[in-house]
Amino acid sequence: MNWSDIWVLYRRELRSAFRDRTIVMNGILVPVFMYPIMMWVMMTGLMFVMGQMDRESSRLVILDPPAEHSALLDTLGAQTNLEIQEDVLSEDSAMVLLRAGDLDALVEFLPPTDEGSALEDNFQVLIRYDRAIGRSSQASARVESTIADYRSEWLSQQASALGIPETEHEQFQIVQDNVSTEEDIGTLLMGMMIPMFLVLMIAMGCLMPAIDSTAGERERSTWETLMTVSASRLSVVTSKYFYVATLGILAGVLNVVAMFASMGVIMGPLLMDLGESANAFQFSLPFLALPVMIVAAIALALFFAAAMMILAAFARTFKDGQAMVGPVFLLAMMPILMGQQTDQTLTPLTAAIPVANAAMMIRDAINGVFLWPLIAETLAVLLAMVTACLLIARVLLKTEDFILLSPDGRFSKFSKIFKSSSRSRLGRNSSEGLK
Amino acid sequence: MAIANVKVEGLQKSFWDESRGEVRAVDGIDFDCQPGEVFGLLGANGAGKTTTLRMLATILKPTGGSASLNGYDVLADPEAVRRSLGFYSASTALYPRLTGRETLEFFARINGYPANQVNQRVEELIDRFGIREYAGARVGKLSSGMRQKISIARTIVHDPPILIFDEPTVGLDVMAALEMQNVIHELRDEGKVIIFSTHIMSEAEKLCDRIGIIHQGRILALGTLEEHRQATGKHYLEDVFVHEVMQAEDQSAKAMASPGEPRTSL
Repeated sequence: MNWSDIWVLYRRELRSAFRDRTIVMNGILVPVFMYPIMMWVMMTGLMFVMGQMDRESSRLVILDPPAEHSALLDTLGAQTNLEIQEDVLSEDSAMVLLRAGDLDALVEFLPPTDEGSALEDNFQVLIRYDRAIGRSSQASARVESTIADYRSEWLSQQASALGIPETEHEQFQIVQDNVSTEEDIGTLLMGMMIPMFLVLMIAMGCLMPAIDSTAGERERSTWETLMTVSASRLSVVTSKYFYVATLGILAGVLNVVAMFASMGVIMGPLLMDLGESANAFQFSLPFLALPVMIVAAIALALFFAAAMMILAAFARTFKDGQAMVGPVFLLAMMPILMGQQTDQTLTPLTAAIPVANAAMMIRDAINGVFLWPLIAETLAVLLAMVTACLLIARVLLKTEDFILLSPDGRFSKFSKIFKSSSRSRLGRNSSEGLK
Repeated sequence: MAIANVKVEGLQKSFWDESRGEVRAVDGIDFDCQPGEVFGLLGANGAGKTTTLRMLATILKPTGGSASLNGYDVLADPEAVRRSLGFYSASTALYPRLTGRETLEFFARINGYPANQVNQRVEELIDRFGIREYAGARVGKLSSGMRQKISIARTIVHDPPILIFDEPTVGLDVMAALEMQNVIHELRDEGKVIIFSTHIMSEAEKLCDRIGIIHQGRILALGTLEEHRQATGKHYLEDVFVHEVMQAEDQSAKAMASPGEPRTSL
């Protein structure tokens, strides 16, 4: 292996890559612009939906309202977002309308239970709604909230009439005090989002270059040209490997930078519109988090680059390569979701699960948790995977059928070719690989 | 007597085929080439020309015999062989996203041309092949004729003593093929060893100093055009070729009919 050759080949790969629209799109533009655009679309969409739902009135039928509580009926009737339909007089016809979606809620006032009847002017309310319909659920919530407010007010009045201070008739008061700062909340949210998107972007950054540098070379017929240069096969493959890993790391780094840059700017004003404070998206990173994130990103990029290149190298065309690497790419995303489902920090078990371990390691680092033995385990697992991939690549490189005759993207066919290749290695060549 | 720059002895290549078993694509061929000589391998499609040339270019490993180029063995020192070699074929394409100039620079550097002389060499070839006008354009945007010129320049940019052209005129129009033939003549006059494969008789007649007729992985006859004519009594190379192939087929048929007899040495 000659490092000077690797450098020449590596520069050639990068130069070509930065002139390829697909690679630039996936490796640079998507990581940089995805967050601002995605956040803006998500928050704007959320606000739009909330606005729509707020403006929408709830259609109600109220049956048997108690005469003693006419004020409640007046309160319900006065609400602009409640539309009481007075022409429906029976439960049966109201239920027909509710099931048909022409009514959002049926509010039935019932006599109190036996225990409840001891109290004067007591009643029960049955709210019928369709939980499968958002508008109906919202109607139920609105009615419930109005009645709860009315009950609270009514109880206060009753207590006052009996000479009981409010603090005494409501003995078990619940008071919540959120001790986390806005910075803590911001860090929590970043800790949830950065690992997931960093891993995703590194994989995405590796995807196209891995296919382009293997199946793409075959499709363009430049593979044989490359096989005739004086650099060793190992130098050729090493340069490609570093190139793919570089673009993976680049995509990940750009993505994180874009995320930090865009979150405050975009989320702040949107959260203000939603009634949060202007500083709702403050966050800070522990000093050690950055180096830990960088190390994790490098380890992940090396792993994704090796795995994807091996798979893509079985394909003859770019399209075949995409078909082969795509599902594995999605499969690699599963552990990230698993890592997101738990509040736990890294454990010896989770540190042994590739990809998920790196995502959790990054999340821990953002939250200021540095479990060094488990970080070491995570890196060891990832590097073991990289080593396994490189060993497979070494075996493949010794197979000239693999170098020249693509098995058309089918593993089964390749397996046959590999076996036949082993048989055809005769005499003195049997132990030598292509140099 | 000049030192042979290319020496091939008993070169073999076998493949394993699921349906046919072991297939001998190249079955023990011998030849050597001198500097300033165009050596032609003439054969039909599937005769073993490309496999032979790929072994010489170290793309494939021989399964028997030996081959050395410029004194380097293809198995023991493949990188040195490739440094001494320029390989051109219809399946050696260029990187479409590099410009012509970048292409030449890349191949000069990766093939070990002295770094401080790369730019000078590239400019020299740009002038020689008349590609200055589009040397800064990406290869993918050029016409096939323009790409062919850059491809030839790419093959010789590191000034190798040996050049292999595997059916270089396949797919080219008449003018482009003629231009290719002129380049090969020029390179021969510069003292390069040129190994050239073709199935086009007129091309072999016109270009080759010596011709090896290859059929089913074996060289049936080897010599100058005049030697072939004298040996077969045929004037045209096409007739010589047909004569040699038919004779080989007859011998093969006889060998099949009486399997106990030893094979006739060709």
